[in-house]
Amino acid sequence: MNSSRVIDNDLLDALMVPAKQGDYPRDSHAFVRIDCSLRVYWHSLFDICPDVLALTTPDGLAIYRPFMAWANERQLSLDWTYYLWVYQWLLQSEFRERVTPKIARALTAASAARWAVGDRSASGGIAVGCADFPELVVAWKSHHIDEGREIELVELDEPLPTPPGKFGYFTIPQFELNTFPGWSEILR
Amino acid sequence: MLIGLNFTLGGTLELVQRLAKEGEIDYCELLIDNFLQVPPSELRDAFACPIGLHIMFSKFLESDAAYLESMAERLREYIDVLKPLYISDHLARFTHKGRTLYHLAELDYPNEYHHVRQRVDWWQEKLGQRLYLENYPSIMDGGHDAPEFFERLVQDTGAGVLFDASNAVCAQLNCGLGLDRWLNVIDSTTHFHVAGYSLSILEPKVVLDTHDVELSPETLAFLTRYKDHFDKPNATMTYERDENIEYDDIVSDLRKLRAIFGHPKGGTQ
Ligand SMILES: [Fe+2]
Repeated sequence: MNSSRVIDNDLLDALMVPAKQGDYPRDSHAFVRIDCSLRVYWHSLFDICPDVLALTTPDGLAIYRPFMAWANERQLSLDWTYYLWVYQWLLQSEFRERVTPKIARALTAASAARWAVGDRSASGGIAVGCADFPELVVAWKSHHIDEGREIELVELDEPLPTPPGKFGYFTIPQFELNTFPGWSEILR
Repeated sequence: MLIGLNFTLGGTLELVQRLAKEGEIDYCELLIDNFLQVPPSELRDAFACPIGLHIMFSKFLESDAAYLESMAERLREYIDVLKPLYISDHLARFTHKGRTLYHLAELDYPNEYHHVRQRVDWWQEKLGQRLYLENYPSIMDGGHDAPEFFERLVQDTGAGVLFDASNAVCAQLNCGLGLDRWLNVIDSTTHFHVAGYSLSILEPKVVLDTHDVELSPETLAFLTRYKDHFDKPNATMTYERDENIEYDDIVSDLRKLRAIFGHPKGGTQ
């Protein structure tokens, strides 16, 4: 086998770790392939939450790079909870004074929406609560052929207990929010 | 050859219905796991044409058994009601060490063969169906192992290949894998995909399966050259478009496919 042969498997550790991209020659396919992967995480954050990008320069790197390094240290799964962890990272970063309630709600809604689009369990919806604002963010999966997922900010007459961590969630079996089964913890 | 279009989101329903009504497409391929909360009868009634089913996020090589069994149980209801032309899934890596890959990665074919084979057997059994498995748009050198891997898998599991012709062109342009290496695979299957692709932002350019632009001349030449290998009774070719969804652009590409393969004999079902 050719010793210069590089397969996708060889690059897995770098596909979500910007700092590891530099281990590969700038003029190689490996470098570009890693770049293609890293860009998807970038766009998934800033295209969906432009107010987060507005906190920094247009390349977003002052947020993106340290967040991805922090996520790597903690081995975050970067599943639907991606945006909830971005919020928690922002709160311990140089940007913390500028994180508005609007950004908190937008990041929570982005995570709920990501669940509604990507989850394949039998549940119909998800409710996410945050210790920093009183409403619930609720996302429903598409349940008619001509409709997409829906996101709602729900103000409750009687507020739920505050989640034990910064966030908590519960899934909703059907398409009606009528019981509170207790908070599930946001996993890494 | 039946020519179809993929349907992944509610927003393009009218477009797909119109293309079917106007005879531009013969069937529609549903990304079925996006619609698992929509009643099967609602999906059946929405289309006046046959349906193919494409599974995107079963992650059946990686997911745990309970999750997959629940998904299979629900998918079977859709299969019963929709009586699809075929059911397809993906052979790719969705996570690495429990972390989500937003840009899917290619399998290490030789080293993962036995695991994949077992999983394919198991997943086909759970779905109660023959599965067609899609080839990855290779960027790196591992793509060279793909044709042989698929040939062996078909032989050992009875699964089919959902052969994506433009993914093969991506692999050719990225890692030099000859298109003729796929001839046995093409001969072995009746279900195909085709789409436009784009170049990476950085140099040296790599080709990415983006479904956002018109079919390339290379892809059309590939289909034309091997037309007789692709075309066979009950064969399907789904044109995939997920970005820049414009009616005229899609019709233009669909007609290029028609010009190569002609209209299906005996009409659709
Ligand atoms: Fe495809």
